[in-house]
Amino acid sequence: MSTYLLIDTSTSRTSVVIVGDGKTLFASHHDGALSHGESLPELVAQGLKIESKIDQVIVGMGPGPFTGLRAGISFAQSFALGRGVPWLGVCSLDAIASEISEKDFLIAIDARRKEVFYARYTDGSRIGEPKVCQPSQLDAFDIPIYGEATNQYPDPSEFISIAEAGATYSQPIYVRRPDAYPAPIGVKFRPMNQLDLVPAFAIEKDSYGHEAWTMAQFKEEFAGKERMYVAAEFAGGLIAYAGVVNLAGTADVLTMTVADGHRRKGIGRELLRRLIDWSRTQKCEAIMLEVRVGNEEAIPLYESFGFIEISKRKDYYGPGKTAIVMRKELT
Amino acid sequence: MKNSEALVLGIETSCDETAVGIVRGRKLLANVISSSVEEHARFGGVVPEIASRAHLEAMPSVIAQALSDAKVSLEDIDAFAVTAGPGLIGALLVGTSSASGLALALDKPLYGVNHLSAHIAVDSLNSEHKLDPAIALLVSGGHSSILQINDLTDDVKTLGSTIDDAAGEAFDKIARILELGFPGGPAIDREAKSGNPDAIEFPRGLTLARDLVDHKYDFSFSGLKTAVSRYLAKTPNHLRADVAASFQEAVVDVLLMKAIGAAKETGIETLIIAGGVAANSRLRDLAQDRTQKAGIQLRIPPMVLCTDNGAMVAAIGSLAVAKGLKPSQIGFAADSSSGISKPIF
Ligand SMILES: [Zn+2]
Repeated sequence: MSTYLLIDTSTSRTSVVIVGDGKTLFASHHDGALSHGESLPELVAQGLKIESKIDQVIVGMGPGPFTGLRAGISFAQSFALGRGVPWLGVCSLDAIASEISEKDFLIAIDARRKEVFYARYTDGSRIGEPKVCQPSQLDAFDIPIYGEATNQYPDPSEFISIAEAGATYSQPIYVRRPDAYPAPIGVKFRPMNQLDLVPAFAIEKDSYGHEAWTMAQFKEEFAGKERMYVAAEFAGGLIAYAGVVNLAGTADVLTMTVADGHRRKGIGRELLRRLIDWSRTQKCEAIMLEVRVGNEEAIPLYESFGFIEISKRKDYYGPGKTAIVMRKELT
Repeated sequence: MKNSEALVLGIETSCDETAVGIVRGRKLLANVISSSVEEHARFGGVVPEIASRAHLEAMPSVIAQALSDAKVSLEDIDAFAVTAGPGLIGALLVGTSSASGLALALDKPLYGVNHLSAHIAVDSLNSEHKLDPAIALLVSGGHSSILQINDLTDDVKTLGSTIDDAAGEAFDKIARILELGFPGGPAIDREAKSGNPDAIEFPRGLTLARDLVDHKYDFSFSGLKTAVSRYLAKTPNHLRADVAASFQEAVVDVLLMKAIGAAKETGIETLIIAGGVAANSRLRDLAQDRTQKAGIQLRIPPMVLCTDNGAMVAAIGSLAVAKGLKPSQIGFAADSSSGISKPIF
């Protein structure tokens, strides 16, 4: 049997447990959303006074607020390096779930910015990877929710059996992409105007082929009421555009297109941010959009803004091409 | 090699460099830097979340590389040192947590150190000269300060600092306006080589008599930035090299005017120039000239030790050990805006 140092910093609680020969030798925690960096070394130092021989380190890899989460992982990997022992990572939510004996439930923890990280568990196992959403959106699942709100935190003692079951992670479970992306350099965002229609139509055809809007549709959509179009310009030329319409209090994204060669630079993120801001000014209660199944670039972007899938529309983009409908609450 | 001297490993993660250095006494053994600067280049500045992610990923391999370069093992290390501030808090925490993990695992002392003091302490490496007193001009993307170093590990006074942008930041912003890319320092330095530094008379911030009352050793670069953009707007057929050279001249001139002024006034005869901007070739040349005329001894650490690195952190840790200073408390707090009055946490 071996001795384990078990650490979790994925919630506002910093927890340290030492287990040797299946017995808990030390268990302590400290609460404080901003003090993981200070609490963790103190707690480990206390634990090492009781048992200093450590054979393995297991750390909670989140999801959780990034700064505290990384303090735990950074400490764990360096401690293991210093001792020349292995370290492993597990999903922190699994450790809360281990203590719940319900058939179907959610685990949710604070993700900051009025959002929660959550995962669904059925018959003792997690369904898919953890996700992020607004707390109110969890109600739609209509099953019990456990976690920080019910005063349940990851108990690192559970990490050993979770790791033994093989559910380990070598990277932090970030869920969200890095935030605070500044505007892409040299790209100017402005309202779209009539003169943009011709270059926009060229991008449209280039991007969607025969599924593209026709020029006539394009003009008609652009001229419609209760809508806002934004254009992105680089070196004097149009490189992207997006539009949104207010349909009786719900915003619907009409189009969002970035020219080939300018993708993956954060331009879509900036466009979407502007569509959301406009929808808020219109007092829309939610914003919705459609995205093609398997669009691996767009879906994570939408999720990072808090959009969640609410339904699928078959053949939306033509026979066999299903659209996912996503929605983000604005209230 | 004097083996009786302490072997110290230093970790630096205050901005976008994941760096580990190892020194024995004042001898540099290893200096490994992994930078996420390329990932930030397309944003024209450092993105804290990207930097923090990169630190966590790079840390184990940077430590391993430093140990292998120094031909020592972790068990040989006598003390650890880590940058505890100032810097980006998320980035600092990756470093302090890693250093705490190592120190506790190996039951060795850990020194949390001030990043600015560390920049100056790098001057101690691979030399025998007396370190203090000295005046230090610390210029980089994050800081522009004039420091009075009475005792590097214990008594450092800030005589002045920037009231708006750091010098390095001004270089980044002007490089962006001139479409020279990021980071701006080297880009402007290169462009300026073919330009005339006297072509355009750009303002020297906080040098008027009335500014000197309250801001004798302070800097301001925001007015200069405005002057450059205004000049570009009203001069469509400007020569980019001349703009770069004249802008650079305005920065370098005021940095040296104030730093040498501080040395003269305090009667301290040594000027150390450190930080990333110390790599600027015009600053080095002009500093050489002017200190010689003023009868001041000039020291500029080698280029590779001027930008953020781990060796500087190890260097100040090693000076603290040599002096018999107490290590930092277990669980000391990283401080994103710590002043220099506290070289060791
Ligand atoms: Zn620095």
